[in-house]
Amino acid sequence: MDGPHDLGGKEGFGPIDVEAPGFRHDWERRQWALSKTIDIPGVMIDNWRATMETMPPAAYLALPYFAKWNFNDLVQLIARGVFTADEAVAGHVERPAPAAPPRDLDAMLARLRTTCRSFARPATSPARFAVGDTVRTLRHPVPGHTRLPAYARSRSGTVIAHHGAHIFADKGAEGAEVPEHLYTVSFTAPELWGSGDPRDTVTLDLWEPYLAAP
Amino acid sequence: MPHDHPDHATAADLHRHLQSHMPSDPALRVKALESLVVERGLVARETLDAWIELYSEKVGPMRGARVVARSWLDEGFRARLFANAAEVVEEMGFHGHGTGHLQAVANTADTHNLIVCTLCSCYPFGLLGMSPIWYRSTAYRARAVCEPRAVLAEFGVTLGPDVAVRVWDSTAELRYLVVPERPPGTEGFSEDQLAALVTRNAMIGTDRDLKVA
Repeated sequence: MDGPHDLGGKEGFGPIDVEAPGFRHDWERRQWALSKTIDIPGVMIDNWRATMETMPPAAYLALPYFAKWNFNDLVQLIARGVFTADEAVAGHVERPAPAAPPRDLDAMLARLRTTCRSFARPATSPARFAVGDTVRTLRHPVPGHTRLPAYARSRSGTVIAHHGAHIFADKGAEGAEVPEHLYTVSFTAPELWGSGDPRDTVTLDLWEPYLAAP
Repeated sequence: MPHDHPDHATAADLHRHLQSHMPSDPALRVKALESLVVERGLVARETLDAWIELYSEKVGPMRGARVVARSWLDEGFRARLFANAAEVVEEMGFHGHGTGHLQAVANTADTHNLIVCTLCSCYPFGLLGMSPIWYRSTAYRARAVCEPRAVLAEFGVTLGPDVAVRVWDSTAELRYLVVPERPPGTEGFSEDQLAALVTRNAMIGTDRDLKVA
């Protein structure tokens, strides 16, 4: 989706606040904990990202990071029927459920380890490209979620790694687990930007449906 | 469409509705979400406290620093790290969010690596802890890919004329760890002493020449 989240190469942003810490406010820590300890039934990361991208553009650019996570968790939980939009606005559910049992630090460390997941899946077709191949990205007029950023469309690059097949994000956003070959593709700065040091490169991890032979 | 993957229009409608009806203070919105999920029995408040404690006490850049320091001391470890960083990190018990397809990339005399996620803010949280605010800022996400040398200069990193920049945009589920060069003057240092020199920014690529205290 050509939304406000697709920021690579966009101009007009100021200097970077290089001293910024991980959190500025307690509510940010709280939201981080909420997002990582609630199991939203059936959620896939690609769908979570896709719903984030539907946030109104002005809000996306203006809201702090964890304020966006907060809105997006609310959207996911309402859409999946965990509570209603009216309950969200009220800040309380009408009919509470039995309380969840509290978990301690050791349980959280164990939980963290279970979040290490593999997105690799058996390939359903042979790979079309190999390391060393020149490939060209599609212009890719995508109406939905995609992980091919606008700045890297219709560009030629070199395959520098092949990772087998991984769950294809564009379909994962719709809840489907479709394996596609995943490649790391290196682009020179002049190819991407029309200028820049020819030795500099930007490298992206791209699924096969984004790529064509040159 | 309850209980299903929300489609584009449903999600967009919900975002607009919530933004016009929820309190304007983000702290109050987070409090509302907490009340909703606690009342729904999805999580206990003590569990949230424990998660916050985990990330302030046990998970953070010290994990990545340990990996980097060991790679400077043990050639076999280093070779395995660059061949399969995810496996090495799991052996050390440092696995978690974003480490399942971890890739280690090495800085050398003529190559500097810089990590970004232009589309969201992907980060190897389980290995490096919470990302710094600048990493998830719109400015860093916009600029790191198109003017990495200017971005590096803002962090005080000036590259020599013979150093190429390799920017890694984390567009799939691979996550990246920059392995900086071992600083001179550290011969005979222990793993603990070396790990103490490794900064979080060096493992993202916004720091380069590590300083020996």
